[in-house]
Amino acid sequence: MKPRFILISLTSCTGCISTLMSLDIFPQFLERTRIIYFPFISDAKDIKECEIALVEGCVSEETQIILLRKVRRHAKKVFALGTCACFGGILSLSNSKIAEPLSNYIEVDGIIPGCPPPSKLFGNSVIRLVENKDITLSEKNMCANCPIWEKMEINFQINITKINPNPEEISLNEENSECFLKKGILCLGPITRDGCEHKCIKMGLPCEGCMGPVSKDFTSNVINFLSLIELSQELKDYTGIFYRFSKPKMKR
Amino acid sequence: MLKVVDVCKRVEGHGEVRILLQNDEVLSVNLEFEIYRGFENFLIGKNLFDIPKIISRICGLCYASQTIASCKTIEDIYNIEVSEHNILLRRLLMSAELIKSHSMNFFFQTLPDLLTIFNLSQKTFSPYELIKYYPQLTTSLYDLIKVGNEINELFGGRSVHLISLVPGGVIYSPSRKSITLARKYFQKALVILEWIIEKFIQLFANQTPPKEFDLPKFISLALTNYGNYDRYSGSLRFKENNKNFIEFEKQNYSTYFGKEINLRGIDFYFENEKNVIVGPFSRFNIVENYGIDEIPTYLDYFNKSWKNNILFTNFIRLLEMYIESYQGLQILDNPSLNIREKLPSLNSIKNLDGIGVIEAPRGVLIHHYHLNKSNYVDRINLFIATEFNLSLINDMITKYAQELFERTGDINLVKKKIQMIIRAFDPCISCATH
Ligand code: SF4
Ligand code: SF4
Repeated sequence: MKPRFILISLTSCTGCISTLMSLDIFPQFLERTRIIYFPFISDAKDIKECEIALVEGCVSEETQIILLRKVRRHAKKVFALGTCACFGGILSLSNSKIAEPLSNYIEVDGIIPGCPPPSKLFGNSVIRLVENKDITLSEKNMCANCPIWEKMEINFQINITKINPNPEEISLNEENSECFLKKGILCLGPITRDGCEHKCIKMGLPCEGCMGPVSKDFTSNVINFLSLIELSQELKDYTGIFYRFSKPKMKR
Repeated sequence: MLKVVDVCKRVEGHGEVRILLQNDEVLSVNLEFEIYRGFENFLIGKNLFDIPKIISRICGLCYASQTIASCKTIEDIYNIEVSEHNILLRRLLMSAELIKSHSMNFFFQTLPDLLTIFNLSQKTFSPYELIKYYPQLTTSLYDLIKVGNEINELFGGRSVHLISLVPGGVIYSPSRKSITLARKYFQKALVILEWIIEKFIQLFANQTPPKEFDLPKFISLALTNYGNYDRYSGSLRFKENNKNFIEFEKQNYSTYFGKEINLRGIDFYFENEKNVIVGPFSRFNIVENYGIDEIPTYLDYFNKSWKNNILFTNFIRLLEMYIESYQGLQILDNPSLNIREKLPSLNSIKNLDGIGVIEAPRGVLIHHYHLNKSNYVDRINLFIATEFNLSLINDMITKYAQELFERTGDINLVKKKIQMIIRAFDPCISCATH
């Protein structure tokens, strides 16, 4: 029997679901599964029993908690799709809105991180789910396979003053032989999970951490890391780093 | 008073239709969005160079447009002109975005609706039935989606939320290999599109589209380069029916419309209440010259009944993909593309106000940032295509719901039909709920 799927978005940019829909394997995915509920492409109105639910987006409204719990009750397994669903995502930058990961409300059986998840990882993971296998994520950080590492060493004495190089300083991977941290530019690679094939770094930009942490809680990781390095006062005050993709866990 | 609420299906994002009934009459119907994320608030105080990356996350379909509009706004603040090489790269990324967005819309939204509207099929398709309906079409549309994805990956570093777009230009000097590959993709797109366009003509050109999709009085708004099809540079133009037009530069937009921050909807300062439309249909009304001979020929297949009907947008979207695949090939042959150059340095702020305009796939997109005396962003105003169209959409669905409900008394039929009208506009609810 074909596995039954539910796909929903909470508060999101729909980038994860539209990435999935744009993958080569998507028609094959539709062929090998039975779609129970997927408002983006289907008129079906009711949430019913299913094997797997994929949920994109963070929880930012009360009504979504009810919806999410309903999905949990009807699905054998629930997976968080993308950084919003896994950690809270970009809306964590907001002071006035909540942006919570699914796991604050329901038990989650696995995550597919990234903003959006890198196509290869995404496609492979979805096919594994269709085949009733588990998703496997790398346990390494970005530095382990970084294309610009010559030697694994972070110089904690260097003053980090920028989160982005100035446009004129950007140089491509092949001309760029020095770690960003050595150049005083903040790169979140050391605490970010490997799996995106170093997309930003290859473009000459530091990693902003969209794949989330290898382990533990997102913000505590960022805070620990930032406490190890010399961060300029301006960056210390900049919420765009601490809350880029996640907020510290709050009681509600 | 009775309120009937229905969640929109097969649209991008969360939308609801709210129907107000009183004494067996429809009072009003509104397309509403329940979530509001507040990007205009939380971007305040953010590092200028950080804004394009964050703002891309407004929408997973209009990512390139949002980011480029943001970069243009920042370049306006620094008073920087972007070089030809960088403009070409931006145009490529925009075309890829448009091809992906239009073809996904065609497959999942338009196709099932057209089949029902023109009685080619009476059933509602499940996603599985949809991919099986016409396998060659499924494959072709998936090939188009791939063209969009791959070109965004090659030149943008990722298929969504592109990495290479930064204030000052585009990171990356394309390798010969990626140019060859991109050329193949666009060539393939042209062949596929010719086939789909001809199919569309065969199936629909002799039909008369239902009149509930006819547009009431409206004014078109689009970016144009002296009447040419151009989504990157030019000036804004208002045009009413086939009459004269008003053309204005971006910095004068506030003469014609404005917006309260944190309130949805755009206010127009016209003498009479008039509805504005943006997007492919409006571009079709405003553009005088496509630069490709086939386009006027294709357009001529359709009679007058189509040219004032929102369903015609579905055909325009196919033509736009054709035009941009063609332009994409021209860009790849342009010698300026291969110039290796450093991006300009942006180090002294020249204006406290910056405005960036672009034609996103769904229409005019304007970013307006304001800095305070210490060069901090203290006001952000975003004008989004779907917001421009909202009052026209609501007008159309209200009138039709009133008429249909009076005639049939069937509220479920009303819900179903007005959603088709909404989908014909291809609203981008993610963008509208920024
Ligand atoms: S994780 Fe990123 S791409 Fe996915 S919904 Fe959130 S903002 Fe969009
Ligand atoms: S380099 Fe970092 S920010 Fe960029 S895609 Fe990879 S994990 Fe995400």
